[in-house]
Amino acid sequence: MAAEENPYTQHYVVKKGDTLSKIAKELYGDPMLYPKIFEANRDILSDPDRIKPGQKLRIP
Amino acid sequence: MFKRSFLITAVAMLALAAGCANQKGPATKAIADAEAAIAAFKDDASRLLPNDLSSIETTVAGLKDNLAKGDYKAVLAAAPELTKKITELRDATAAKKAEWEAATAAAKEQWTAYAADLPKMVEAIQSRVDILGKARRLPKNVSKEAFDGAKAGLDWMKANWAEANDAFNSGNAIDAAAKAQAVKDKGAEVLKQLGLAPSA
Repeated sequence: MAAEENPYTQHYVVKKGDTLSKIAKELYGDPMLYPKIFEANRDILSDPDRIKPGQKLRIP
Repeated sequence: MFKRSFLITAVAMLALAAGCANQKGPATKAIADAEAAIAAFKDDASRLLPNDLSSIETTVAGLKDNLAKGDYKAVLAAAPELTKKITELRDATAAKKAEWEAATAAAKEQWTAYAADLPKMVEAIQSRVDILGKARRLPKNVSKEAFDGAKAGLDWMKANWAEANDAFNSGNAIDAAAKAQAVKDKGAEVLKQLGLAPSA
């Protein structure tokens, strides 16, 4: 929750066809780092394989 | 004839001696007054206008030498100019102090904002640097050179932020705010190197 208060935390809005791995590859260069995104969004994600278009994810 | 000229000389010497004796008190007082006047603002002047203070103190030291040698006339002749210079320095010191106090108050306000903002900026950059450090390859928008630059920039930010805190904690808000602004500027550069937005 603390990350929400940080104005420098980056965000990404999920698009149709996105997966956390795909987002991690795009933003980190490595799909295997998707758990970093999942952990930073545990308040809105319960399963790393279930993300919905329009969701605004914190990208640590 | 000889007796008469001797008498005139003796009277003249007595008059001169009496004159000198009459000048000793005022000369001594002139220097004491000057030193007391300087002492009233010396602390501020030594911090804010050290060269001007040093110049006046040199003048006072010279006049004290004259006083010790009995040259009271020289002391009294220089006293008005010395008084004028002391008054000018006192006024200049007061103006400089007011300016410094205003700048310090402004810096303290700025510091409040920096203290709330910069740790978050460092934290966000640190987080991304740590994650990218574990990546098998970097994202397309971050070159290796940019990433290395970002890591060096982050180290610089942390060191300078610590220095800014030290400056603020030792009472130098103006230096602290200047260092904090430099950290913020470097942070903007590092965010760009990492392909990140300036802030959300």
